[in-house]
Amino acid sequence: MTFDWTTFILEIINFLALVWILKHFLYQPILDIIARRRAGIEKTLTDAQQIKAEADKLKQQHEKFLAEWEQEKERAQARLMAELAAMRENKLAELNDKINEEAERRKVLDERAKREFERRMEEQGIAQGIAFTTKLFFRLASPELEAALYALLLEDLHGLSKENKRVITEATVVPELQIKIQSAFPLDENKQNELARYLSDVAGRMLPIEFQVNSDLIAGFQIAIGSWILHANLRDELKFFSGSLQHATAGS
Amino acid sequence: MEEAAVVFYAGPFAITSIVITTWGIMLFLGMFCWLATRQLSLDPGPLQAMLEGIILLIEESIEAVSPGYAQQMMPFIGTLWIYIVIANLVGIIPELHSPTGNLSVTAGLALLVFLSVHWFGIRNEGAGYLKHYLSPSPILLPFHLISEVTRTIALAVRLFGNIMSLELVALLVLLVAGLLVPVPVLMLHIIEALVQAYIFGMLALIYVAGAMQSQQNVQGAS
Repeated sequence: MTFDWTTFILEIINFLALVWILKHFLYQPILDIIARRRAGIEKTLTDAQQIKAEADKLKQQHEKFLAEWEQEKERAQARLMAELAAMRENKLAELNDKINEEAERRKVLDERAKREFERRMEEQGIAQGIAFTTKLFFRLASPELEAALYALLLEDLHGLSKENKRVITEATVVPELQIKIQSAFPLDENKQNELARYLSDVAGRMLPIEFQVNSDLIAGFQIAIGSWILHANLRDELKFFSGSLQHATAGS
Repeated sequence: MEEAAVVFYAGPFAITSIVITTWGIMLFLGMFCWLATRQLSLDPGPLQAMLEGIILLIEESIEAVSPGYAQQMMPFIGTLWIYIVIANLVGIIPELHSPTGNLSVTAGLALLVFLSVHWFGIRNEGAGYLKHYLSPSPILLPFHLISEVTRTIALAVRLFGNIMSLELVALLVLLVAGLLVPVPVLMLHIIEALVQAYIFGMLALIYVAGAMQSQQNVQGAS
C-alpha cells in the first residue's frame, strides 16, 4: 500500500473531467428530455383540464338547455292540450247542433211523411168509402128512392132563392135554349109535365125540355139550363161529399 | 497487493496502469453517453428508458436527503456513484485492477468530497457557513476539524480497503482452490462493488447536504 502523488493528482483531474463529461453528455440531455416530457405532460394535462372544463361547461349548458326545452315542451304540451280541449268542445257543440238540426229535420220529415201517409190513408179511406157508398147506393137505387129524391127535387126547386131564380131567368134568355133533364130511372109523364110546368114558370116562357135516362146518376136527377146545372142525384152528391172531404183533408 | 505498474512517463510524472484504467473508464463513459444521448426522443427506447431511470433514481436519492438541491448536486454525487460502480466492477475483468483498490485514487476522491463539502457550503450559505465550526461552542472547533479530517480519511480507507481486500481474496482463492472456485467470490465482488459505491456516494451526499444546511442548524440552535 503505497501512495502515489501523481496518481492522486491525476485522479482528481480525471474525476473533475468525468464530472464535466457526464454533466454535458448524460445529465443535461437526460434532464432536458425529462423536462420536455414533463412539460408535454403538463401541457397535455392542462389541455385536458381545459377541455374537461369546456366539456363540463358544455354539459351544464346542455343540461340547462334540456331543462328549458323540457319546460318549453311541457308548456307547449299544456297549450296544445288546452287548444285540443277547446277544439273538442267546439266540435262537440257543432256536432250536437248538427245532430239537433238533423233530428229536427228528421222530425219534420217524419211529421211530413206521417201527414202524407195519413193524408193518403184518408184519401184511400175516402175513396174506399166513396166506392163502398157508391156500390151501396147502386144496390139501394130503386124507383122508390128515385121518387123520394124527386120529392126532394121539387122541394129544392120550390125553395130556390131569388138569386138562383134570377140566374135561371138570365140563362133562359138565350134563344133556342133547351133544358136537359137526366134521371137515373125513366120519369113518368106526370112528373115530366110537372117539372116542365114548374121550370116554365121560373123561366117565364115555355122551353123545350129533353128528358134522358142516365144510370150513372145512381138515383136522382140532373137539370141543366144553359150554364146553370142543378144536381139532385146520388152520384153528384157523392162527388160533392168526396170533394169536400178531400178538401178538408188537404186543408188539415 | 502488488504496486500499480508504471506504463509510461510523462515528463517527471509516472503514468500508472491505474490512471490508464481510469482514462479507459472515462473514455467508455464519455463515448457511451455521447452515443446514447445523441438522439433522445420523447418516446424513449429501452436504453433511453434505462438511462432516464438511473438519472431519476439519483435525483430522487439526492432530493430525499437534500430537498431542492438535486439539480445542483447531481453532477458531483451522480458521477461519484457511476464512476465508483464502474471502477469497482473493472476488477472483475481479467488483467485489470479496480482503480478504487488503490489508496491514491480513493484519497483523491475523498479529498474531492472534502473540498466539495466546503464548496457547496460556502456557495449556498456564504462565509457564514464556517460559523458552524464554532457551534454550539468555540471550544468544539478542534473536534470539528478532527472530525472533518478523520471522516475524509475514513472515506478513502473504507473504499480502498474493501475493494483491495476483495481482489486479494479472489486472487488467494484462485491460487489455492483452482480456476472456477473464485466465481462465488466474484459474485460477492459485484455486490460489494455496488454497496461500496452506494456507501461512498451516500456519505458524500450526507456530508455535502449537512454543510448546506449547517447555517440553518446554527440558527435553529441559537
